[in-house]
Amino acid sequence: MPKTVLITDDTAFMRMTLKNVIQKNGYIVVGEAADGEEAVAKYLELRPDLVTMDITMPKMDGITAIKEIMRHDPNARIIVCSAMGQKPMVIEALNAGAKDFLVKPFDADRVIEALRKAAP
Amino acid sequence: MERLDFLRELGNIGIGHATTALSEMLQGKLLRLVVPDARILPFEEAAAYIGGLDEIVAGIFMQISGDVTGHMAFILPIESARTLVELLTQRHGTDEEIFDELGRSALEEIGNIMITSYLNALSALTDLVMSPSIPALAIDMAGAVWESVLAGALVDEAVTIIRTDFSADGVDIGGNIVLLPDEEEFQKIEHALGLEDF
Repeated sequence: MPKTVLITDDTAFMRMTLKNVIQKNGYIVVGEAADGEEAVAKYLELRPDLVTMDITMPKMDGITAIKEIMRHDPNARIIVCSAMGQKPMVIEALNAGAKDFLVKPFDADRVIEALRKAAP
Repeated sequence: MERLDFLRELGNIGIGHATTALSEMLQGKLLRLVVPDARILPFEEAAAYIGGLDEIVAGIFMQISGDVTGHMAFILPIESARTLVELLTQRHGTDEEIFDELGRSALEEIGNIMITSYLNALSALTDLVMSPSIPALAIDMAGAVWESVLAGALVDEAVTIIRTDFSADGVDIGGNIVLLPDEEEFQKIEHALGLEDF
């Protein structure tokens, strides 16, 4: 069974880029969210195997969304994909429950490697 | 080290990283050509340096919060913006077609990556956190874009501009990173780096 993925990013272009990379590698993108609130709602609705999470977003940021999702499902597998790669932010995301942290823009291989590691 | 030397060096590190990354996004089509040039200029001269108040430009701006506060922008001539969006989205067409929702979001992402890469480099050197806000985009005459950039900025009278030139598919692309730390905030950076005695 191919693994399912929920993509979270506030820019349409980044969602499209991620979707292309992820689908080309045998995953199914079941949903897209443009902010943290939408990510939490869609996670609960779709229960994907994996989530990609941006940090800087309107309404609810990625760190808060990770905490919310982990509160509902401690087994959620979330990978951060953010341009903001400063150490305290990486640590905060990992402490909140993220499995990996990719700094944008990332190459396709790194994205797939992170997805495989998070959900073997 | 002079402040400008430092900013230029930081430009090398931050923009080097950003352009490498952008090249990856463009499947190797983007090549950095020119070493970034940093200047501190009064507002009027800054606008002229970037290309004149009547020129159409694309400006992406972000507010910075955290240990150091201020504003940053990435401003590029409309032709450069167009080339980058065409390369990224693999589409051609009129300005209206190119700068649709997808094109605009590609531009926002380019600005986001350029600005945040610079901040990441600065943060790694100083151990200060600088978090950018969601990017805002304006495509307009440079004068109007400058007004948007400066509207929220608490600056004295000068702006710092780091110019960076690329070439992609044989087309020259120019971009300018504009740094507007709030008054006094530069001192925090200099303090963290031990530059005050120079």
